[in-house]
Amino acid sequence: MKPILEVTDLTGGYLPNQPVIHHLDFTVKENEIVGLIGLNGAGKSTTIKHVLGLMEPMSGTSKIEGQTFREEPENYRSQFTYIPEMPILYEELTLWEHLELTAMAYGLEEQTFLTRVRPLLEEFRMDNKIKWFPSQFSKGMKQKVMILCALLVEPKLYIVDEPFVGLDPLGIQSFLEYMVKFKNNGAGVLMSTHILSTAERYCDRFLIMHEGRLVLSGTLEELRMRSGLENATLDDIYLYVARGKVT
Amino acid sequence: MIDVKKLWTKRRNAHVTHTLKYFSLMANSGLIVSLILLIVIGSVYYAKLLQALPENFPAVFILTIVFSFWLTKSPIRTLLKEGDLVFLLPVESGMKQYFSKAISSATATGSFFTLFIFTLLWPIVQVFVHDGWKMYVTFGFFLIAAKVFNIYVSWEERRLPYKSHQTNYKIMRFIVNFVYAYLLFNEAYLFLIAIFAIMYVLKNFVFGVFKKQHGYQWEMLLAEEQALKMKGYRMVNYFTDVPALKQTVHKRPLFNSVASFSFKKKNALSALYMKTFVRSGDYLGLYVRLILIGFLFMYLIPAGWWQLIVVFLFFQMFALQLFTLYTQYRWNVIFMIYPIKQDTRVKAFQNWLKNLLIIQGVLYGIFYVLLTGDWLIAILMPVAAILYSVVRLPSMTKKHITLTS
Repeated sequence: MKPILEVTDLTGGYLPNQPVIHHLDFTVKENEIVGLIGLNGAGKSTTIKHVLGLMEPMSGTSKIEGQTFREEPENYRSQFTYIPEMPILYEELTLWEHLELTAMAYGLEEQTFLTRVRPLLEEFRMDNKIKWFPSQFSKGMKQKVMILCALLVEPKLYIVDEPFVGLDPLGIQSFLEYMVKFKNNGAGVLMSTHILSTAERYCDRFLIMHEGRLVLSGTLEELRMRSGLENATLDDIYLYVARGKVT
Repeated sequence: MIDVKKLWTKRRNAHVTHTLKYFSLMANSGLIVSLILLIVIGSVYYAKLLQALPENFPAVFILTIVFSFWLTKSPIRTLLKEGDLVFLLPVESGMKQYFSKAISSATATGSFFTLFIFTLLWPIVQVFVHDGWKMYVTFGFFLIAAKVFNIYVSWEERRLPYKSHQTNYKIMRFIVNFVYAYLLFNEAYLFLIAIFAIMYVLKNFVFGVFKKQHGYQWEMLLAEEQALKMKGYRMVNYFTDVPALKQTVHKRPLFNSVASFSFKKKNALSALYMKTFVRSGDYLGLYVRLILIGFLFMYLIPAGWWQLIVVFLFFQMFALQLFTLYTQYRWNVIFMIYPIKQDTRVKAFQNWLKNLLIIQGVLYGIFYVLLTGDWLIAILMPVAAILYSVVRLPSMTKKHITLTS
């Protein structure tokens, strides 16, 4: 499988000489969902910001399709969409206009946009709310707008930060089904989450972070082997790591 | 246990410092000069206007209307914060002291502004109603008394859980205030005393009852406080950037066609900027106001080529104000990660601003032609807009981007 995202020896942070993440190495390949797991403050969001090209690495690189953000900013960013942890919406735009703006910004043809958008709206039961403004939406609905925008583009790579909070069970199900569908069509997904039972069922591989370092990674089987916990669930392994038992 | 009295004092002091800081910022901004100029010109024309008013000018009626609205509107700054809904709920019973401080403070500012407005209108009263300092004192006293009554009673009104019920009582207060002001400016003091009796009954037996039936409507109080705060911020925002300003969104469907663009990547941000401009809070209002004030200046200043300088100044004012829109999405991650080049982003913003400037220029031109019949200078006005956007905008944008990033 071809790698889409390659992170090599990535170190970075907010203050010079005080890195928050240290020497991260991982990839996200075609046809796989990779779970990014760690306690609050483990460095997941910082890692994601580096991948998005919002922060500059102190050392190391983050490459998408073989290019770094510095080399080809526009190209780099057209390869992925991002679903943030907290929904970020334009207060002045309706749901429909959010979708339209996203499609335009990512260079979709109008016809492609129109054929993709209807089934998405129906799936997430938002088709009767296209003229609504964000102030009328609940937290979960705002999250759905973010998801719709990201799915609409159908990029090679999805970067998803804690997508389940505030989403109703039907919404979670629809989202996961879409993720699986796009994965089977060749996309890669990097998903940060605390909902481990869901992650265990849907992710092909896991990256477990602790205090800014990648302490354990691999499939569930590999995690069990490396931690020495036979038949353990992802929960068990995660707790084991989080208590600092793996270094 | 929280000492709510201390809490009030602390918040009021913070509020005052905060306000003073913004005042000093306002005083430093360029717009204040134009404002002072406007006030000077305005007062000259006020005097002229007074002389030109006909004998049968319905001064009493107008005064009555103005004060009925002013007295009915009784804002109270409670200085509540969002967190209070969680942290102050347990001390609800003790909040009476806090709120009574808020009411006193609202009474003080309300009385001050009542007197201020009355003083502004005093020349009209002098000419059409009654002259003399005794009258000034009498009218002032009665108006302030009514204001105090309204603030106290409207506080009780705020206990009602439904907005529609509150509105009903507000309408009732409006009627009382209307009659009160009408009698006052007709100097029918005997009847005024009767109104006082009615007000007494209202205060104790109508509004006074709410206290026993309802608690505080925390969410409504908070919403009012936030709305008042935003109102203040919006005023300051004319002079200087207010980062805390949350823009309220107006749908304004009339303008939808203006903000629709053909479905192309290069139009994405232009569409966003235009929609924000049309719907977001005060941008459109600011634009319209600047155009109207521009008309006023053109009308007041004698015709000639120097009008082009005036127009140019208004372009500058508008462009400066609108740069806040460029920074509005500075921290919006979704906006930042669009696969759109930096200079395409800058161009989209400049083009959008250019279009608005040209519209502004055309409107000034039309107004000038209607005013003077001088076609040449009128046509030069939209040309000046184009020149301005080609010559001045790029350097301004550059400066702004380096300043804010």
